[in-house]
Amino acid sequence: MAEYFGATVADIFNTMPKRFKPEEAKDVDILIGYEATGEGGGMWTAHIKHGTLTVSKVEELKGCKTTVHADAETFVGVTLGKITAIDALTSQKLRVVGDPRLLMTLLPKVFVPFTVIPKKKEINVRDILATTESRFRPDKAEGVAMNVGYDLTGAGGGQWTLQIKDGQCKVREGFADVLTVKLIMDAGVYAGMMLGTIDGTAAFTSGQVRIEGDMMAAAATGRFFHKYADPGAQEAEELICLRVTNAIDQRFASGPVMGKWFAGLREKKFLANKCPECGRTQIPPREICAICRVRVTEFVELGPAGTVTNYDLVYFASPDPLTGAGRDTPYAPIYVVLDGSTESEAFAFELKKEDLSRIKVGARVRPVWAEKPTGSFRDLIYFEME
Amino acid sequence: MKKRKKNRNVAIIGIGQTSLSSHKEDQNQVEMVQEAVINALQDANLTINDIDCIVHGNMELFEMQFAPDLWHSLGSGARGKDEYRLTTGGTVGMTLVCAADNLVASGLYDTVLAVSIQKLQEGNTTGGITNMADPLWFRNLQTGALTGTTATELINEFGEERAKRAAMKYRIMMDKHAMLNPRAHRRFGLEYEQGPDLAATSPQLVGELRLIHMCSQSDGACAMILTSEERAKKGTAKPPVWIRDHIQAHREETIPNLFGYVKPEMTHHYCARKLYERNGITDPVEYFDVFEMYDPSAWWAVDWLREFFLLKGDEHLQMLERGDFDLDGRIPINPSGGVIASNPISATAMLRAAEAALQIRGDAGPHQIKREVKHALASGFGGTFWTALMMLEKDLDWQEVENG
Repeated sequence: MAEYFGATVADIFNTMPKRFKPEEAKDVDILIGYEATGEGGGMWTAHIKHGTLTVSKVEELKGCKTTVHADAETFVGVTLGKITAIDALTSQKLRVVGDPRLLMTLLPKVFVPFTVIPKKKEINVRDILATTESRFRPDKAEGVAMNVGYDLTGAGGGQWTLQIKDGQCKVREGFADVLTVKLIMDAGVYAGMMLGTIDGTAAFTSGQVRIEGDMMAAAATGRFFHKYADPGAQEAEELICLRVTNAIDQRFASGPVMGKWFAGLREKKFLANKCPECGRTQIPPREICAICRVRVTEFVELGPAGTVTNYDLVYFASPDPLTGAGRDTPYAPIYVVLDGSTESEAFAFELKKEDLSRIKVGARVRPVWAEKPTGSFRDLIYFEME
Repeated sequence: MKKRKKNRNVAIIGIGQTSLSSHKEDQNQVEMVQEAVINALQDANLTINDIDCIVHGNMELFEMQFAPDLWHSLGSGARGKDEYRLTTGGTVGMTLVCAADNLVASGLYDTVLAVSIQKLQEGNTTGGITNMADPLWFRNLQTGALTGTTATELINEFGEERAKRAAMKYRIMMDKHAMLNPRAHRRFGLEYEQGPDLAATSPQLVGELRLIHMCSQSDGACAMILTSEERAKKGTAKPPVWIRDHIQAHREETIPNLFGYVKPEMTHHYCARKLYERNGITDPVEYFDVFEMYDPSAWWAVDWLREFFLLKGDEHLQMLERGDFDLDGRIPINPSGGVIASNPISATAMLRAAEAALQIRGDAGPHQIKREVKHALASGFGGTFWTALMMLEKDLDWQEVENG
């Protein structure tokens, strides 16, 4: 299978169950489809449902809420972070049908990032078994007594027994007289499982591993050992990425001029102030007119209705700076010249979501107020079209 | 505005950049600063002992690191030297060059190092930009630097088909320039034939502003060394590039004031008009040999070309359609690939001045303009509509204009 950046597309999906973080996906119910084109490609689906994950290789993508399409090289590159997802999206080497935010938000949350597993040139089961006794964790195997047989077939294979008893572990060639459980698999599959390139559960489900005897005992053995580390793997430089989330509690004084504005909102009024020299109506009001450099003290009520001069139909979910959460898209801030305003003094606020599809320059809009205004920007809910 | 009184002439004698990318996991901020500073010192054949003062710039709002110059002093070499830190938004990098120019021109320092850095991958750019909005009002509406209003205006003025084609022509032209610049962050290899398909299918960000139109978020650092005419004339490693003049302007007004029935003069237009006026330049397209423009999106770029060159009607579209802005055109725009290709915000505006200076020196690299470049224009941009505009010259031979 074609390798890119040292990994295949199949590697990504084979390691998915191992990289899955069920606790992060409790409230998630989504079927994601993947199509990698070109050499080494294929189609897969990942069904995340209430903390469970099912990965399937499929012939067609059916019933998926979101599908991801890319050539195999881009697919591996983006997954490994060798190609920036946003750049791949921009150049359209990567296409997402449905919600592209999934790639940036959900997936990093529910999966441990995929990394290339350095491969040993020769898979040597004996090397791995030689470390078994030293990897044993007696504290985890208190009171456990079992004999686990391994029947490893194919090149480099053989038969071994792991004897766990009295807080000790011994590895012997051949089978003990009594086996609690026997695992039968290809030596390559065993090595792959130990190296982390093959997922044990998936290998069992697909029939690559057969278990004879106490199935529960087989599942429990992993706990008794430290993970095998490939001594031939290149030691990565110690580059650590620290994750930090800042939450800042702030308070701002309005001052008397904006104080008057907020007091006006409490009475469902737009109170602008009017420059004594040029006559422009500043909304929201400001302490001085910066053009004439004079204090502005006269307040006038504008609107409440007005005319739309421009608008931003927003699809990209930027974080709401007041909460930090991604905003619900699409939404539209609109620019409005309120009735009674001077011609260059527009006002901006959000449009009612139901009116998004009808919005156009020149549309007439009116404010919709909160039931009990308190003197904050939340007093104005949105503008709606007349 | 009265003519600025410059005490003495100032030359750019050293330029250093890091590569620009979104993958600088192998370097921390200090190492990036150091790489740019070392490159600038080597370019000028100087050591840090030759530097009298350092001007440092970074948009702290993005990485949320207060006083980053303290940390970065490990890479900038500021220990034991006078140092100033500037933070002016998207214009930071250009403000640094302006400030360094002023510091040398004043006579306070002979040789000044300006260094700018941004590592956007370590912060939240859109979140940071959003926090520039008035905390009492409008912050709840701000969407970072993303807006579809310019696209709407261009479509209304020139028709959907022509406006969209112009934005894509500009975008793909920038990619073609970026393909020649080995330091550029995003190099897609786009062809003009892809324009209509990309314009129709690229994900929408805001209205007709699509992903393909928008600039990147990059990591990068840039450093420049400026010195006095007296020092420069004693000999420099590379040909000196002279800073002729610069201007800055921004709006105190809230963003909605740009969208009334009557549009105020844009800061770009204001700066260009004032700068040309006081330097006796009547035809900027004819005068300048290159313009490195701070172009955060293809839509803004197309619109701003009209503002910066004081063009009327659809002159800017005609020029774009004719290929006047191509690398071998009448007035090449952004041979580097511009901000659309690479955008390490604080360094971005300095890169405009740096790339313009490299063009004058004639050693920009594969994206060097083939003709001789004698007069260069470079711009910086930031929120809330802040313009910085700079003129660079190959020869110290311009006519002083008395107009103040």
